[in-house]
Amino acid sequence: MHLRKVNFWFLSSLLISIIVAIPIITVFSSFFEDTSNYYQILKDTFLFEYIFNSFTLLICVLVLTFIFGTSTAYLVSFYKFPLSNFFKWALILSFAVPPYIYAYSLTAFFENYGTLYSILKNLFGPGNYNQYIPKFDGLLGAVLSLSFSLFAYVYILARASFLYQSQNLIDLGRSLGFSKLKSFYYLILPAARPAIVTGLSLVAMETLAEFGAVDFFSINTLTTGIYNAWITFDDLAFSNRISFFLLIFIFAIFILENLSRKKARYHSNTKGGFKQKEKIQLSGAKAFYVFFICLIIFFLSFLFPLGQMLYWTIKFPENFFDLNILTLTLNTIYLVFLSSLVLILFSLISNYGNRVSKNKILNILSTLSISGYAIPGVILAVAFITFIAWFDENIIQALGFLSIKKMFIGSILGLVLVYFIRFYSLAFNGIKSGYEKINISVDESSYLLGYSKQKTFMNIHVPYLRNSLLFVVILISLEIIRELPITLILRPFNFETFATTAYISASEDLLEAAAAPSLFLILIATAFIMLTSKYILREK
Amino acid sequence: MRKISIFTLILTLFAPVFLAANEVNIFNARHYKADAELYGKFTKATGIKVNLINGKSGALEKRMIEEGADSAADLYITADAGRCGAFQAKGMTQSGLVSSTIKSSVPKNFRTTHWVGVAKRARIIYYSPERVTGAELSGMSYEGLADPKWKGRLVIRKSSNIYNKSLVASLIANNGKKATADWAKGVVANMARDSKGNDRAQIMAVAAGEADIAVANTYYLALMLSGKKGPEQQEAAKKVKAFFPNQDGRGTHMNISCAALVKGAPNKANAIALVDFLLSPESQEHFTNNTFEFPMISGVSPSPLVVNNLGLDFKQDLATKVSTYGKNQAAALEVMTAAGWK
Repeated sequence: MHLRKVNFWFLSSLLISIIVAIPIITVFSSFFEDTSNYYQILKDTFLFEYIFNSFTLLICVLVLTFIFGTSTAYLVSFYKFPLSNFFKWALILSFAVPPYIYAYSLTAFFENYGTLYSILKNLFGPGNYNQYIPKFDGLLGAVLSLSFSLFAYVYILARASFLYQSQNLIDLGRSLGFSKLKSFYYLILPAARPAIVTGLSLVAMETLAEFGAVDFFSINTLTTGIYNAWITFDDLAFSNRISFFLLIFIFAIFILENLSRKKARYHSNTKGGFKQKEKIQLSGAKAFYVFFICLIIFFLSFLFPLGQMLYWTIKFPENFFDLNILTLTLNTIYLVFLSSLVLILFSLISNYGNRVSKNKILNILSTLSISGYAIPGVILAVAFITFIAWFDENIIQALGFLSIKKMFIGSILGLVLVYFIRFYSLAFNGIKSGYEKINISVDESSYLLGYSKQKTFMNIHVPYLRNSLLFVVILISLEIIRELPITLILRPFNFETFATTAYISASEDLLEAAAAPSLFLILIATAFIMLTSKYILREK
Repeated sequence: MRKISIFTLILTLFAPVFLAANEVNIFNARHYKADAELYGKFTKATGIKVNLINGKSGALEKRMIEEGADSAADLYITADAGRCGAFQAKGMTQSGLVSSTIKSSVPKNFRTTHWVGVAKRARIIYYSPERVTGAELSGMSYEGLADPKWKGRLVIRKSSNIYNKSLVASLIANNGKKATADWAKGVVANMARDSKGNDRAQIMAVAAGEADIAVANTYYLALMLSGKKGPEQQEAAKKVKAFFPNQDGRGTHMNISCAALVKGAPNKANAIALVDFLLSPESQEHFTNNTFEFPMISGVSPSPLVVNNLGLDFKQDLATKVSTYGKNQAAALEVMTAAGWK
């Protein structure tokens, strides 16, 4: 009996790992294929450019998100100033604006004869203002778009860590006669380092995987390079070589993050000593400056793109009327619902399996299966198609069955499956952190009381996990609402989401038409964030 | 009950597999609203449902290739002859676009039996009348873009752009690869800035004084002048003038929006019917008035905005076959990249 159950958990974890491993295996299986000489010159030129651009982008975005994220988190965690309670949650609204929509907004506002030009013309009368308007495009535009869209990762984690810092640390700084800045730099920041590094590593993953904004500004990065090598040049081997470099980047980030966590044990204050600290009330000029800093970040990260998209939606209303809002909303909800269902179900199975079986191999398997999040959606989608085509030809049809391609390529099933691979780690880790809070002795007591495993799961685990489940659903929803490359490549006929509608208009030189779908995307995502901001920002 | 609804939900996942109807499936890389309106008219007239999968051409092509014989794709519609040609070279299209409508209305250099042009555009030079004199422009050609007199005065988009690839491919077809490689170096030396932005951004750069001449497609200026892009862009468009190069020689570089018949198309007859429909005078007029392209068939005139501001009476390059764009695409990208064209 016992053995059989272990086998079930083992098999389901194995299944999940295999599904998630498909794209990675597909990419590397053709690593040794000959690359054609055809584009040799281009390859050498391009490869250097890809690495250089990805690296520059990564470093700049990390620096900016660190500055934006930690400074605002520090201000709202330690001080009281006008609207500080509002900023506390308003700053996470930037999550609702994906980098590519930020990129559209930057271009719309600053381009020649753009929105800023109109404003200047209305204020000061006709004149050639274009030459004085800075242009935020290319690499700079991509850095800004990604930084303002992603800094909330750092903000949320830094803030959570600041909140848990004991009053003692602040008192220590004071008794050492440190200035506030010195305390921040020497005491508060080092203590929050693991959380900040985790936030930054999430930013790094997102930056390396980013497709929409980078593609919009036509910057050649490793991710767009993989896409181009595979799709434009049909050169899978070269594409794999670029993937290899990208994976090295990602691997390095993993290692750094883990190292930082190990060191963290020395820093964290595990037992006792936690005392809710008093926030310092600011007044006068100081309060104003602090208020102003938060306002600027909030304005630039959220109000600016929202405002620009709203302005264009009003200015070009025909695009709004052309938009089939009901269908797009239903499509989005449909995808969110199905994906959440599948993701939650399998994450529960594999988390519960880990808990009851304590099998080492099982643990390794589930660690492997969370790697999907580190792989850009573009690679996942294309690798999935390649795999299905290969599998269909060599196995299904060779055995004399009907082709399964249509079932997986260009179907909701295939789309949900690849979402599953990409977002499994979000669901798995979210539920895992919930499980870690349920002491294993709870299970044991439950068994002693004569509860079956199933009953323990349904009556004890699920209620405990309710908050984690909710949080996971929201995270998945936000990701799917914004998701671009996978949806773009794998969706069925006549099936669009707000994201694909916006992207397609923008890629066709019809940026104005991208405004209305972008606006709706921001609004829906905002609603999701507001629903759960309490959970994300919980203070205890 | 709950189980039944979950079962239904799962069934809907597979639904597309079982559906078959009087339809035509288009892999569509042209996303103009005007096109969608035309497809609606087609369905009304024939009862054939038009299914669309929109996307960028590269991704669409890849998907059709991987789907192979099982692909539902009937037609691949995209905005560049180079793309249709390259797709044909991969063996992904089939012959069959030989209806009497196609043969009688589309000039030979704009079609093969595998794919057909449905609308035309020219890639031309835009200039600032304030800063460029008639004498400077006199006899101007694409070849002349490499002339040192334009140093620091030229803007053109990136080398990865398909319109540029096709333009350079046509230069290779006419002047050879070596001469075109030298030409590309000259063009890069003349650039006012590193290449960036779309065609419209190039025109606006000239309007804003960042450069004196730009290379862009014809319909963009008309689109800006139409006011559909707002009064600012209309204002910008009035500050530039269009110039049709190579009038003394082979004529201005023409490109097409093309429809390719996909290999193994399950609804071949419907696909051909749709292409015929797109070539009807009514559809052609719809194109010219909404996307501001040039009509493919004779007897339909371009939009008044195009005629009045760009001029109609220019010599088109009808000698260079558009099918060479696909053939020379790789070489075109190679010479541009070698020249340092971003």
